[in-house]
Amino acid sequence: MHNELKITDMQTLESNKKTIEESINPISLDLPDFTTDSYKDAYSRINAIVIEGEQEAHDNYISIATLIPNELEELTKLARMEMKHKKGFTACGRNLGVVADMDFAKKFFSKLHGNFQVALEKGNLTTCLLIQAILIEAFAISAYNVYIRVADPFAKKITEGVVKDEYLHLNYGQEWLKENLSTCKEELMEANKVNLPLIKKMLDEVADDASVLAMDREELMEEFMIAYQDTLMEIGLDNREIARMAMAAIV
Amino acid sequence: MFGLIGHSTSFEDAKRKASMLGFDHIADGDLDVWCTAPPQLVENVEVKSATGISIEGSYIDSCFVPEMLSRFKTARRKVLNAMELAQKKGINITALGGFTSIIFENFNLLQHKQIRNTSLEWERFTTGNTHTAWVICKQLEINAPRIGIDLKKATVAVIGATGDIGSAVCRWLINKTGISELLMVARQQEPLALLQKELDGGTITSLDEALPQADIVVWVASMPKTIEIDTENLKKPCLMIDGGYPKNLDEKFQGENIYVLKGGIVEFFNDIGWSMMELAEMRNPQREMFACFAEAMILEFEKCHTNFSWGRNNISLEKMEFIGAASLKHGFSAIGLDKQPKVLTV
Ligand SMILES: NC(=O)C1=CN([C@@H]2O[C@H](COP(=O)(O)OP(=O)(O)OC[C@H]3O[C@@H](n4cnc5c(N)ncnc54)[C@H](OP(=O)(O)O)[C@@H]3O)[C@@H](O)[C@H]2O)C=CC1
Ligand SMILES: [Fe+2]
Ligand SMILES: [Fe+2]
Repeated sequence: MHNELKITDMQTLESNKKTIEESINPISLDLPDFTTDSYKDAYSRINAIVIEGEQEAHDNYISIATLIPNELEELTKLARMEMKHKKGFTACGRNLGVVADMDFAKKFFSKLHGNFQVALEKGNLTTCLLIQAILIEAFAISAYNVYIRVADPFAKKITEGVVKDEYLHLNYGQEWLKENLSTCKEELMEANKVNLPLIKKMLDEVADDASVLAMDREELMEEFMIAYQDTLMEIGLDNREIARMAMAAIV
Repeated sequence: MFGLIGHSTSFEDAKRKASMLGFDHIADGDLDVWCTAPPQLVENVEVKSATGISIEGSYIDSCFVPEMLSRFKTARRKVLNAMELAQKKGINITALGGFTSIIFENFNLLQHKQIRNTSLEWERFTTGNTHTAWVICKQLEINAPRIGIDLKKATVAVIGATGDIGSAVCRWLINKTGISELLMVARQQEPLALLQKELDGGTITSLDEALPQADIVVWVASMPKTIEIDTENLKKPCLMIDGGYPKNLDEKFQGENIYVLKGGIVEFFNDIGWSMMELAEMRNPQREMFACFAEAMILEFEKCHTNFSWGRNNISLEKMEFIGAASLKHGFSAIGLDKQPKVLTV
């Protein structure tokens, strides 16, 4: 029996040496040039999405309060934070000399916005909380976490403050759903099946612009799945249930 | 609490496991889906030591697969995310199994302490390499005589000699065993020369030259793919200790009087009620596990909450002796050749 040793076929860890060296230098840490036209062009849409997202979040928390009046105070607090975020991100755009494309952003959110309004009208609190306090918050958290790594210093500082708040908001939805899991599970699953694919689509839609900002699509999706899975786990769903829910993102 | 961070040996294997565990959302996904998958806390388990102490632990699958090695950022994220999950779960000491510790070192993850809102505490993690190195040395000392190899006269080749495990094995062999000759193989010459100087012994050589001379070959190179070898010129008998991950030697080496032993695997004295080693295809999955995983358990049994094995080239003989003694005390033993060693024939 004679087998030749085939070193050349071997994939080895060292094939990554070059990339490693590049990554060690913090200056070349993939920070984009914030002053180019292409950066500003992409920023005009991403920034608008963020500003619109914060406005929607504000409106949604105020609306949710009409369904649980005894939570009015808490929800108003959350809504106020969202307005503060909106101001912060508006300043980020201004700082870079970018005019946000708000028409684009309105369209971007229109489907999810519509679904939220229908649920609100029907008094489907679980659906409203899933859309705003779970899906939108997890979406925001993922985007902000990735953005922080590649943002200009001004925006980085603002975003770091914002993302801390968004975890509180995610936690708010999580705690309510946890307490009411026995009665809201079915609606939660149903609403997830309808709305998670929308989030996935929205993510795909911003991927190109995001990559101009050095935000990786794969990383965005992963960050979203981490926040999403974490919160479902805390709500009290088991691995299999979470897997079934996450399926809706793989279409 | 102890933790184990592991991964599958291949993408195909990972999908099969995911489907068994009911993770349908990734079981059907392509590699891109896996690249976006969060780490999964697969199982919680309670383990009782031979001394009677009970500890609890968790197994976390990082959702890394070797196919991701060429995607440097992805691999990095998989390891860091799994570590973050372990820390968030409050686990005191977690072993970085399989390729995860190598990714940590080679991709320089020390500079990524901050993961989202978690600041990683390195003292909660161990590579498990001290125990792995000790186990491999014991496997060598115990099994070589059983197939008629006299250690005092034996030539031992260490493939991957300058690695963290390899250098520890060389250190032990030179200082503790009285073997006749040590052959050291790796690709880069500079670290080899440094090691030789440190040991004040050992011969630097190439793989092709080493194999025909060796009575015992220890494989501890980090090679993700199976290699093929010319078996014609091997010594008979010859003991091959496959310490790499994944284990990729045994089917390849065929020939009379060539004995292949799975290196760095230990057996616990009692059944552990877990399913994750079944997934890792251990011969006796209720008892066998990677030595690096066992290190996390041993450190938890000993309430030794520190990054016991960390960095590169820090494994001292004292540390190996400490972890070895604790290993035996709590009921672990290195796996050996079958009672009647199976001779592979052509
Ligand atoms: N059973 C268990 O419980 C465990 C097993 N392991 C496995 O042990 C192995 C070694 O781990 P570790 O010491 O941490 O790894 P290191 O990265 O520290 O060392 C790898 C060594 O292999 C050498 N090497 C790499 N490629 C080749 C090649 N093609 N030919 C010859 N030498 C080569 C390297 O030197 P150079 O680059 O100069 O060639 C280096 O000496 C890995 O496969 C790992 O997965 C790890 C932990 C636990
Ligand atoms: Fe906000
Ligand atoms: Fe929010």
